Amino acid sequence: MSWDYFFVQAANGAVIGVIYALIAVGVTLIFSILKIVNFAHGDLYMLGGYCAYFVIELLGFPPLAAMAVAMAALFLGAIILERLMLTPLYSDATERKDEYGLIVTFGLAYFLRNSAVIAFGPFPLKPPSFIPGVTRIGNLILTNDRLVAAGIGILLILGLLYFMQRTIWGQALDAVSQSRDSAAIVGINPRRFNSLAFGIGAALAAGAGALIAPTYSLAPDMGVAANIHAYVIVILGGMGSTLGSIIAGLMLGEAETLFTAFFPDPTRALAYQNAFGVLMLMIFLVFRPQGLFGRRHLRME
Amino acid sequence: MSAGQELMRGEGIVKRFGGIVANDEVDFVVTEGDLIGLIGPNGSGKTTLINVLTGHLMPDGGEVLVRGERVSGRPPHIYAAMGVARTFQLTQLFSRMTVMENMLVPGLTRPHSSWDEAARRARSYLEFLNLAHLEQLQAKNLSGGQQKLLELGRCLMLEPKVLFLDEPFAGVHPRLRDELIHRIEELHRDGRTFVVVDHDMESILRISRRLVVMARGSKIADGDPAAVRTDQTVIAAYAGL
Amino acid sequence: MKGLHICILLAVSALVLFFADGLSPYWMHVAIIAMYYGILAASWSLLAGYVGLFSLSHMAFASIGAYTSQLLINWYGIPIPLSMVAGIAMCCFVGGLIGWVCLRMSGPYLAIFTLGFSEIVRIAIATEDQVTAGMAGLHTDLLFPSAATRLPYFYTAFALLAVSLVLMGLLVRSRWGLFLRAIREDEQAAGASGVAVARFRILAFAIASGFAGLAGGFYAHYIPIITPSMGDLDEMAKLLVMAVIGGMELLPTAVGGAFFVEFLLEKLRDLADGGGGVHWQVPVLGIDIELHNFDQWRLPIFGVLLLLTMRFARNGLITPFWLHFMRLGEARVSPPPAVRDLPQKDPGT
Repeated sequence: MSWDYFFVQAANGAVIGVIYALIAVGVTLIFSILKIVNFAHGDLYMLGGYCAYFVIELLGFPPLAAMAVAMAALFLGAIILERLMLTPLYSDATERKDEYGLIVTFGLAYFLRNSAVIAFGPFPLKPPSFIPGVTRIGNLILTNDRLVAAGIGILLILGLLYFMQRTIWGQALDAVSQSRDSAAIVGINPRRFNSLAFGIGAALAAGAGALIAPTYSLAPDMGVAANIHAYVIVILGGMGSTLGSIIAGLMLGEAETLFTAFFPDPTRALAYQNAFGVLMLMIFLVFRPQGLFGRRHLRME
Repeated sequence: MSAGQELMRGEGIVKRFGGIVANDEVDFVVTEGDLIGLIGPNGSGKTTLINVLTGHLMPDGGEVLVRGERVSGRPPHIYAAMGVARTFQLTQLFSRMTVMENMLVPGLTRPHSSWDEAARRARSYLEFLNLAHLEQLQAKNLSGGQQKLLELGRCLMLEPKVLFLDEPFAGVHPRLRDELIHRIEELHRDGRTFVVVDHDMESILRISRRLVVMARGSKIADGDPAAVRTDQTVIAAYAGL
Repeated sequence: MKGLHICILLAVSALVLFFADGLSPYWMHVAIIAMYYGILAASWSLLAGYVGLFSLSHMAFASIGAYTSQLLINWYGIPIPLSMVAGIAMCCFVGGLIGWVCLRMSGPYLAIFTLGFSEIVRIAIATEDQVTAGMAGLHTDLLFPSAATRLPYFYTAFALLAVSLVLMGLLVRSRWGLFLRAIREDEQAAGASGVAVARFRILAFAIASGFAGLAGGFYAHYIPIITPSMGDLDEMAKLLVMAVIGGMELLPTAVGGAFFVEFLLEKLRDLADGGGGVHWQVPVLGIDIELHNFDQWRLPIFGVLLLLTMRFARNGLITPFWLHFMRLGEARVSPPPAVRDLPQKDPGT
């Protein structure tokens, strides 16, 4: 085994980790505020990627701007969806809220995935690079796109953390995630924050999709794997813990890439790559459902 | 009521949550015919003790015995089968099932029970609780007071030896409270044993034949209500809060 | 369910069986597949609707049943009915195991776990192609290899569906049905009422998975080839759509949902073939999309239907019809005075 190979794989793993973290942070945010697991999150990631692609192809925007447009579009779209479909979650008349959230987001995912196949065709699409070419660091060769993805991804995550810690809106969001009722008493309108949370979560997912698309291409079913990775990370990191999701995302990206890179049987390795995350997930659910950093298990209602 | 056989005992019950010791080596004995009032300031560990004694929590130390048989660590339905019934602080009914179905669930868990026999028993208890006319109503459509009574009815269907009532008077209208007390006393006269946890001092003192006081995880008094009321440690415990 | 209802159902069944051979091969196939999904929808609703265990691994069990059955035939040459029974047994066992592992899980955790399990099963079947032939597909033995038409399969599917519904129906009406529903309503209260919650959760999983295995086994020996995708998330999503649109809280409405969606899916495909396509242009933005495969829109349409159903008719679209059917033969009397005079919430107590 060459150390160069290891470092390249580790670097790739880190990049993937950042993307995973971005996705998972969105799921965690939505879970904290709306108290549901968003089963459509991976498909929002997929839509973000496609949205950026079409903005580039049809409107001629540069890739980075396209990403921003995609994030904005998904932000708005998510809020519309939330207003249309998720408002029953806030009414006391709705029973079995977690089941509702589950089925609705699952149905949404189904709709988005199948619509995507029709609208975008089943064949993978490759958007243009952010920055073509590669960068050499010592003996390592890394594609610029990967570097951009990781870099912007980290910026987005830091931006989110800054938003949550330092801005009024962000702190209010944090307050709502910890206790809706207390937040309401202090004058914060929880409903507005549901929309905000769902929108931000979707925007982050969209950003992730746009960032990684030049590296791995777009396909209508890319959301499926993303979903599963999101759940793995969110549970590993502890449902409701933003920091946990970030760390767990990075760890999973790294672990998965290295596992695949060094698995003895290369043909099987790729197939079992997805299974790796799932296996981790199942093990954690059984032995440590609160994850690595999680708060005590949150009951849904 | 003359002292009967020992029905249940908790020996040296210890329960910790994180850094807090909710129950610190608590001994608790329930004798046939008792009507025990379990009181104490908030956070004294009363509800935790109830949860341990009814199988909803596993103790970190100590044992729970029902008629000499060790049950600690076994699931709640075993306790129910052995005649230990409980109500919950916030009524936990099977909301979308009917009143009759709520009663039938515990009724049919008893071995050798038939639908007819269980329904008959259910009806007679519902009559006793003045709920018979609501038999086909979904439990969620009952008033708060009726729900409390239904929960009591559910306990009775288990033909329990001991009934643990967790804050039955909490937030309850005075008229309903009187009705509840009336029912408890009537059931007690018929030979049922009760352990009642509550903050409503007036009601507790009215019905209790024996008073157990807890504070900060430990039992600080156990005996005749008149004596316990004037016990200095008890007064201090309440005042200290 | 009264005698009247049973008579009506028997009459309808008799009619269906009598006129079955008038169906074209295409529609007979559709009906058979609908019945396959019917068994799956009913057993899934048993788990998710009655007990409240939202499992996303149901189709995975169908594929376990299918593959187990065929592989046993391949390895040991046993007759099909026996291998199907073995498939069912395997599913009961694994289902019970999953139920046991999931004891402490609820809601989304359970959903995610079973989703993960489903994926592992699919990936394992697809990857270990030495054993399972992987993505290429495993060739299967047919129940009626010398049949000229699909009719025997139709009768078999019908019989299996009927038997499944009767068995599940008996369970649901029994005291165990009460206990299962109680678990869904309030698990803690159920335990306090004497219900052995853990035991029933495991049992529910085992039983539901067993029925899924039955359906899968039938499917394996009806369609001459099976692939790992029979248990993938798309199939699970489709099943969920079927059960929820019909009504996931009652067995007959779940089955109704399966029929409804399956027939509608095929009917739309029928229409589409005659149609042609859709050409959508937005000149300003330079969007020019031509959609010739109108039948592909069927799936998103059902996604929307699902969302609408959840939002506005959460009990399911078929439920009102079934409840109406169940009320047939009830005497038309005004409600008893006690209930009528009862104020909405009794203020005195």
